[in-house]
Amino acid sequence: MLSDSEAAELLSFLTPSTRPDVKGQATEYLLGLSGHRCLSFFLSFFVPFFRDGCRFLRSKPDLLAALFALTSDPSIAVVKDSYHIFINLSADETLHQVLLTDVKILPVLLKSLMDPEYLFSDQICTILSNMTRHEKTCKSVFKELQEDIGLAKLVEIFCTEGYNKKAKLHYLGPLLSNLTQLPEARNYILDKDRCVVQRLLPFTQYEASAVRRGGVIGTLRNCCFDYVHHEWLLSDAVDILPFLLLPLAGPEELSEEENEGLPVDLQYLPEDKKREEDPDIRKMLLETLLLLTATKAGRQVLKEKNVYPVIRELHRWEKDVHVAAACEKLVQVLIGDEPEQGMENLMEVEIPEDVEQKLQEADIKEQHQLEEERRKQEEEERKSSDAERTDREQESGLIK
Amino acid sequence: MASSALQDDSDDGMDEFMDKFKTERYKNAFSENNWEEEFNKVPMFMKTAPEEIDPQKYPELACLQAIIHDEDRTPEEQAKSLKDEGNAFFKEKNYQKAILAYTAGLNKKCSDEDLNVVLLTNRAAANFHLGNMRSALNDAAAANKIKPDHAKALIRGAQCCIELQNFSEAIKWCDEGLKLLPTEKRLQELRAAADKHKRAAERDARKAKAKEKKLYGEKEALLAAIKDRGIKLLHSTKPCKRGSNSEDEDEDEGCSAGMAQLSLDGLSSQEVTGAQVFRDEQGSLHWPVLFLYPEHQQSDFISAFCESNCFLDHLAVMFGEEPPPWDTDRKYNPQNLQLYFEDEEKETLYQVNPEMSLLQVLQHKRFFVKAGTPSFIVLVSGSSFLKQFLTGKKIQGL
Repeated sequence: MLSDSEAAELLSFLTPSTRPDVKGQATEYLLGLSGHRCLSFFLSFFVPFFRDGCRFLRSKPDLLAALFALTSDPSIAVVKDSYHIFINLSADETLHQVLLTDVKILPVLLKSLMDPEYLFSDQICTILSNMTRHEKTCKSVFKELQEDIGLAKLVEIFCTEGYNKKAKLHYLGPLLSNLTQLPEARNYILDKDRCVVQRLLPFTQYEASAVRRGGVIGTLRNCCFDYVHHEWLLSDAVDILPFLLLPLAGPEELSEEENEGLPVDLQYLPEDKKREEDPDIRKMLLETLLLLTATKAGRQVLKEKNVYPVIRELHRWEKDVHVAAACEKLVQVLIGDEPEQGMENLMEVEIPEDVEQKLQEADIKEQHQLEEERRKQEEEERKSSDAERTDREQESGLIK
Repeated sequence: MASSALQDDSDDGMDEFMDKFKTERYKNAFSENNWEEEFNKVPMFMKTAPEEIDPQKYPELACLQAIIHDEDRTPEEQAKSLKDEGNAFFKEKNYQKAILAYTAGLNKKCSDEDLNVVLLTNRAAANFHLGNMRSALNDAAAANKIKPDHAKALIRGAQCCIELQNFSEAIKWCDEGLKLLPTEKRLQELRAAADKHKRAAERDARKAKAKEKKLYGEKEALLAAIKDRGIKLLHSTKPCKRGSNSEDEDEDEGCSAGMAQLSLDGLSSQEVTGAQVFRDEQGSLHWPVLFLYPEHQQSDFISAFCESNCFLDHLAVMFGEEPPPWDTDRKYNPQNLQLYFEDEEKETLYQVNPEMSLLQVLQHKRFFVKAGTPSFIVLVSGSSFLKQFLTGKKIQGL
C-alpha cells in the first residue's frame, strides 16, 4: 500500500527520536504485518490528539490518498478504521482543501452514498457534514455536488425511508443545513417549480433522531433568511407553519376560541403530546418563527393562525433561559403594535449606526446575563447531585 | 378549353356519364320534406352515430364499420381504430361505450406499448368519470407499470386515491411521479391537496376521539355515582357474571363491567320519553320516575325527580290542585295515597313512606331500577281496589 519511502517518512514523523536502525526494523515489522490495519490504528490514535499530525498530513496529499484508498480495502475492519480517521480529519478545517482538490474524495464518497447496500454511508454523511461547516469549502462541495449527483438526489435519499438498510443517513440533515448557508442551495430547496422543501417538513417531528430533526429545522431556518420566499412558505403550497409549531405545542388545553383558530394539525392534540426535548432545537424553531415575522404579511398570518397562545403555553412550560428569552422576543412581535409606515419589513429597516452599536451592546449584555443564569442553574443541579452522591457514599461507608 | 386530343384521353364512360346529366333526370334526390333526415343518414354529414348500425338503413356506415374492424388488419391498426372509437364516445360523454371500445383495443394485445398506455389511461379516465374509482386506479396503475413517467397515468392515479380518501397513497403517487417529472405542476398541486386532506382527516379523528373520551368519562362518572350510592340497576339480558373480565376480581368489578355493558340498555329508558338519569352540577342525581295507577290503568311520568326530593313533594304537585281527569271519584289526594314498589324476583310489594326521599328508597336492598326508570305503584288508602290489589300478595314495610 505505502511505498517504502512513504512508510519511512511516516515513521520518522511518528517516532522522530528513534535510532535509525530501530526505525528500519520497525518499518519492516510494520510492513510485514497485515500492514494496513496497524497503520490505520496508528493514525486513528494519533491524529485526534496531535494537531501537528494534521498539519503534517496537509502537506502530504499522497499519504492522504493512500489512506483514502484504504476505504476500498477488502477487509471491512480496515475500511471501518479508515472512515474513522477521515471523520476526524474532516473535522479539521485546514485539511478540507487538500481533501477536496488533491485527494478528490467527493466523487468516491458520493458514489458510495448512492449505493443502497453500502455499509458505511453513515460515516460518509458525517464526513460530508464536517466538510460543509465552513463557507469556503461548503461552496466547493456544493459546486462539485451539483456537477455530480446533485442536491435533488441527496434530498431524495434523505427523505426515502429505509433507503439504506444498513445506514440511517441521519447526518444528511446537518449536511443539508450546512449547505443552505449558501444562497444557491437555498434557492434550490425553495424552488417553486419543484417539490423539495415540502418533502422535508414532516421530519421536524422525527422522533428517532435529534440529528435528523435538528438538521431539517436548521435547514428551514436558513431558508427563512430570504424573506422573498416567506409568502410562498406560509401559503398552502408549502404550509410551513404547522410543522414549526407542532414540536413546540404541548398537551395543555386551549380555549375553544383559541383552538378553532389554530392550524388543523394543532387542533385536538392528545393528552400525551410531548414537546421537542432538545432546547437547542426549540430555540431554532423559535428563531425560524421570528424570521417569518419580518414582513407585514408574515406577521398577519402568524397572528391570524393563533401562534401566540401556543408560544404563551410554551413559555409557561419552558425551563431553559435561552429558549425562554427567544419566546419573549417572538411574543413581543406577535402582540406588539405594528411598526410605523416605512418600517414594516423588519429586515430592511435602516438602523442608524449609534443605535446599532447600542443594540449590539445590549445583546452582549443579555447574553452574559443568560449565561450567568444558566451557570447558576447548572451549579445548583451539580450541588444537589453531589449531595446525593455524598449521602449515598456515606450510606455505603465510602467517604472520599 | 382542353384540346380534343386530351378529351379523348379521359376515362371511357366518363364522358358518357357526364353527358347523361344533360338529358336524364336526377334520381333519388332528397325530397323537400325529409331532406334533413336524409342528410343525417349520410355518413359524411351525420351529426350523431346511430346506436345500432342496421346495414339496411345505413349501408355506408355498415361498410365503414366492416372496414375498420376487418380482422385482416394488424392488431396495432385495430387497436388504434378502437382507441379512436373510444375517444369519440368519450367526447360524447358516452363513457360506458368508450370503456367497451378501449377494452376491445386492449384485448388485441398489440405490441405497441405506447398505444396500450394510452388505452389504459383513457379507460381510467372514463371509469373516473363514471365514479368507478377502483377500476380507474387499477387502469392507471397498469399504465404506470408500463410507462412510469407517463404524466397522465400518474395524475389519474393520484386523483383516484384522493377520491377513495386514501391520502397517503395519493401522496406516494405524487412523490413517485415527481421523482421522474420534478416540475409537473398538476402533481405538485395534487400533492398539496392530498396532504391538506390527510391532515384534516387526522384532525377529525383526534376530534372524534376526544369527544368519545369525554362522553365515556361522563358516562363512567354517572355509573360510578350510581354505584357509590349502592343503587342497583336491573338488566334483563346479561346477569352479573363473576370472573367475566379477569381472574381475581371481586363481585363489584364484575358488576361494574355488567353495569358498563348495560349502560346502553339499562339506563336509557325504552319508553317514548328518551329521558335518562343525569348528574347535576352539584353531583345530585335526577331520575326519570314512573308513577303507576293500576286502578285506572294510568301512569304519570316525572322526567327529572331529584334524589333528595321526597315523594310527598311530587304528589303534592301532581294531586294538589286539580285531580287528574281519570280520577272520576276524586279520591286521589296527596294525604291518602299509598306508595309501593315491586320486587319482581321475590314477588313482594314494599310500601314506601311518602316522606322518604327518592334516594332512600332507591338504596333499599331489594330495589332494582328497571330500564333506568324507577317506578312506583300508587293506591288510595282504604279503597276496595287497594284491598283487592293487595290480596294474595306479599307485603313488607321499608
